[in-house]
Amino acid sequence: MLRYIATRILIWIPSVVVLLLAIYALAFYGAGDPIKLIFLRAPGDVAFDPVRIEAIREQAGLNQPFLVQFANYIWKVLHGNFGNSLLSGRPVWKTVAAAAPISFQIGLLAILLTAIVAIPLGVLAALKQNSRLDYLIVSVSLFLWAIPAYVAGPLLMVLLIAILPGADIPYGWGGIFDPRIVLPLLVLSFQPIALITRQTRAAVIEIMSEDFVRTARAKGVPELVVAFKHIMRPVLTPVVTQLGLIMITLVNGAIFVEYVFGLPGLGRLTVQAILHNDYPIILAVTLIGVTVAMATNLIVDLLYPILDPRAGQGGR
Amino acid sequence: MSEVDKGPKGLTRRGVFKAGAGVALGVSLFGFLDREAQAAEQVLKIAHGGFDMDWSPMRGGGRPFRWQSLWWASPMRFDSSGAIQPYVVTSWEPSADLTTWTFHLDPKAVFSDGSPITAADIKGSWELAAMPSSKHQRVNQVAANIVGYDEIVAGTAKEMPGLVAKDDKTLVVTLKAADPIFFMRIANHLIPIVKASEARDADGNEVLEWWSPEGGGVTSGPFKITSLDLDAGKIGFAPNENFFGEKPKLSGVEIQVVEDPVAATALLQKGEMQAHTELVTSTIIKDLGKEFSAGPQIPTGQHFWFNVNAAPLNDPKVRQALIMAVDREGLIKASFPDGPHKKTDMVLTAVPGIDDPKYVPFPYDPAAAKKALAESSYGGPERLPKLILAGTTTPAITAAAQFMIEQWRQNLGITAVELKPTIDNFNPADVHIFRDDAGTRVPDAATYLMSSIHSSSGIAKGKMNGYKNPEVDRLLEEAITKPADDPQRVALAQEAQRLFRDDYAFIPWYGETMSRWALPNVKAMDKNLDWQVVAPWAIEIE
Amino acid sequence: MAVETLAAPASAADIEKHASLWSDAWHRLLANRLAMVGLAVIVLLILVAIFGPWMTPYDFLSQDLNARNELPNAAHWLGTDELGRDVLARVIYGARTALIVSLIVTAIAVAIGVTLGAIAGYAGGPLDSAIMWLTDMTMSVPNLLLAVVINASLKPPLTAWMDRMYQATLNPIWRNSLIVDFVLVFGAMALVSWPAYCRLVRAQVLSVRSRNYVTAARALGLPTRVILMRYIVPNAIGPLIVAVSAGLGAAMVLESAFSFLGVGVNPPAPSWGNMISDGLRVWRTYPHLLAAPAAVLGIATIAFSFLGDGLNDALNPKGRK
Repeated sequence: MLRYIATRILIWIPSVVVLLLAIYALAFYGAGDPIKLIFLRAPGDVAFDPVRIEAIREQAGLNQPFLVQFANYIWKVLHGNFGNSLLSGRPVWKTVAAAAPISFQIGLLAILLTAIVAIPLGVLAALKQNSRLDYLIVSVSLFLWAIPAYVAGPLLMVLLIAILPGADIPYGWGGIFDPRIVLPLLVLSFQPIALITRQTRAAVIEIMSEDFVRTARAKGVPELVVAFKHIMRPVLTPVVTQLGLIMITLVNGAIFVEYVFGLPGLGRLTVQAILHNDYPIILAVTLIGVTVAMATNLIVDLLYPILDPRAGQGGR
Repeated sequence: MSEVDKGPKGLTRRGVFKAGAGVALGVSLFGFLDREAQAAEQVLKIAHGGFDMDWSPMRGGGRPFRWQSLWWASPMRFDSSGAIQPYVVTSWEPSADLTTWTFHLDPKAVFSDGSPITAADIKGSWELAAMPSSKHQRVNQVAANIVGYDEIVAGTAKEMPGLVAKDDKTLVVTLKAADPIFFMRIANHLIPIVKASEARDADGNEVLEWWSPEGGGVTSGPFKITSLDLDAGKIGFAPNENFFGEKPKLSGVEIQVVEDPVAATALLQKGEMQAHTELVTSTIIKDLGKEFSAGPQIPTGQHFWFNVNAAPLNDPKVRQALIMAVDREGLIKASFPDGPHKKTDMVLTAVPGIDDPKYVPFPYDPAAAKKALAESSYGGPERLPKLILAGTTTPAITAAAQFMIEQWRQNLGITAVELKPTIDNFNPADVHIFRDDAGTRVPDAATYLMSSIHSSSGIAKGKMNGYKNPEVDRLLEEAITKPADDPQRVALAQEAQRLFRDDYAFIPWYGETMSRWALPNVKAMDKNLDWQVVAPWAIEIE
Repeated sequence: MAVETLAAPASAADIEKHASLWSDAWHRLLANRLAMVGLAVIVLLILVAIFGPWMTPYDFLSQDLNARNELPNAAHWLGTDELGRDVLARVIYGARTALIVSLIVTAIAVAIGVTLGAIAGYAGGPLDSAIMWLTDMTMSVPNLLLAVVINASLKPPLTAWMDRMYQATLNPIWRNSLIVDFVLVFGAMALVSWPAYCRLVRAQVLSVRSRNYVTAARALGLPTRVILMRYIVPNAIGPLIVAVSAGLGAAMVLESAFSFLGVGVNPPAPSWGNMISDGLRVWRTYPHLLAAPAAVLGIATIAFSFLGDGLNDALNPKGRK
């Protein structure tokens, strides 16, 4: 097991270097020089003096050839130094270390909420297949799946203010026990909830048609007992396999949710960095994203054989 | 949720609304209502539009710059009527040839740690701002004429020989060329006075976050920084008990980032915050009243500049056509229908000399515009290359640009115009029309035009792709040598502006109003042409 | 010889089985009310996108500064925006934008995804690993970064080239600035959307690859391309249709997300994402400017999800795998 994990990580490292190279190249050749952007985007009476700007770029090490810059970067990262933000001059790790916990806390809460809400709903819908309740659950989940986070966010804020004129506007970050977290959490969980509800429903319907469940039901074993005894484990399989997709939905949703609700997390940091082409930050954030994705995939692959013994030998 | 219990009778539309949302939000209700109301009356709460990670006073621009006067003192300052008031520097005199200026500091002037503000601190502050690593955006406006400036900005020196601290309270400045208004150029917060020994390292560069509470946090203005959490977007200020001027009336200032303008507007309407750093929305007057955005006209104008040296705008007839086809009354109505900004016809705004009876505004004349386009080398709209309009960064600018595009489509038949929000890799041939502001920190027409239409200015070089009218240059160069009170100074500038007008090189849009961006119950929030609160110590909440 | 006679009936039976499966699926789909609602909405959307712009009394560009920000009324059914343009006309024209973007993006993404996925699943071995590696890497690059970079680096040369073509031919098609936006948006979005299809097809191929008739066909020495086209891809098509139907809705949302962040379709061309992001700035004062495009976008994506879900039930009865 440990050897398997170690091999996975070893294979993963060169991939990450290639990915970082690709992103570095995109940032370097694509979106414009970050120092020039500072001056170009400032209003009129700014001093766009080429000599000075070259001097500033030289100080930031931006006038070196691409490969030299990249090699320097990798060398520094290997020594645990992620460089300084080109915009603020602050160490990247400091900025990222402040933003990441916020995103991770909300992300984990969202996964938790999704599990608590979506799995029971999906099972319920499947057990009552083609009933009115089933239709309701399916349509609501389709609806939640379709509504973008940046539309849902403001609309819920309007609702809140309309209903509770005295309420605080849910804006900003106060930790996971602050009531302001409720709305962003809801909005962020909408799509994963929709996804998992439908996945669970489909999985349960599939299992229910299998012989051993039919037999159990025919024998008059109560529905709930059937549900728990025979269904839960196979049902979790597709849910676990979808973990990667959930993570991606969460990461993409976070960008908008964090903007709309003023949460200083990774999503906001990423957008900011991309729009200003602050590439030390872009690279660090990507590194985190890739690590999370890899860890998720690893967990899925490790859990898969446990949940579904049939798949144990052959792999996927 | 209780509405549901009332049965069908109680199910009004509002009831259903409430019930549905109540289920979703029920958990949170107690929390929202519970949060204690802030009792401290005299704490000014400011909403700030973005997570700025860099609040160093040495940047000379950006959003943080707008609160510079809260915590930093400047050599002199402009009041809201545009008159210079002493601050750290109490008196000054030039040499007869106007190349050497001697400044005398207030003997009582001290930093927030009680140490005296010396001439060496001013010298150090200016040098620090000019260092490449400081990335100061407007250092040239203050220091470009000082002996030694070129070496320091090129990164080959860390001191300017033109700055000499004669003693602790006397600074002697040597200029490269005579400048009758040099004293005005330093009467702003572009480069505030910082404690040089704390802010500069051994190489003369800026110490990382030296201005933060952890870094020492010694300030020179009426407030000092007491808490800083950049990642959460919160900054706290308390009165500087050692401040050498009037005692501040506020007991504190809190800056909190609220990125979304709509959320910020709601917070202001509810009175949870009292001021905003820079709130620009199309509904601001409707949402928060006229008083919130009121303020003086400042010498900054927003215009659309033409790239006069690239096809198709190198053809004067095309430029004429584009200008005369735009109804500029409509332009302001499309962008700032309720104010606070005012339509303008010329480059100059809010400086002595804007009342020029000989200046003829561009007419709105679709027929003449059509004729001009037909007379151009392109013969009409069909052969005209595609136009690219850059700098549409805000909703108001986008609205104005879309209005012009529609006017050109209706009046000239031009359909190929593209909007480009940001200017990334500036390549003059790629962009034909640039939205940008022109302005100055000195109430002086000659300086204003020097920094916008003289061939050496950033706008003429960058945005107009090397605009140069030798006669305009000559007039302006002559004007800036005249003393500030010589009527010739204004007259020559006006003449230069008229010549510039005849080159048809820009579409005038509006003159900027420096909004107070504060609720009516906040007093003394008036700002000056330097974008700063004039007397931050006098701010109080009623 | 013996092998041949064995294989032929097998494939014939297979084809027959397919035909009945498809008609069964169609009947099941017809019976699904939600899916039919979705289908109806989509058909309506397509009709509106094609014919709508000629049916509105207002041009989507004409401004009327004396009728700014009007609430919905008899003259303007969905009100007017901040420049006095008719919101209905813009929403209708936006349907065209949305439909074109989502169709083309999905087509490109499916083409890339199916090709790579089929190759990876069928070939296996190092080629499979390489393609899967590429898929994982693509999914790891932030979507937004790709869009920004493509916009900044490719747009100026493309715009200049289009204008040169126009000057040479005077054909107004080169003048349509929407095309440049579209091409860039298509490119950026397709680049981030294909991995999902690739993974799906690969998984399908893997599950079909070991079936008897494929093994038989291989034993016969049929060319790989023929095996892929005749046996493997048709088997993967059911799940693919479901994924495409969901993907069309997702592409619409993605386009509006890019426009929301300012890297999508540029104004004055109307796109729902643009209109939503404009509406978000004034939703407390003029809610209709947000509600109209958001509701239409919501209805369109929900319609695609309904249809996708119905197709899923129809093509995968009891989760046939």
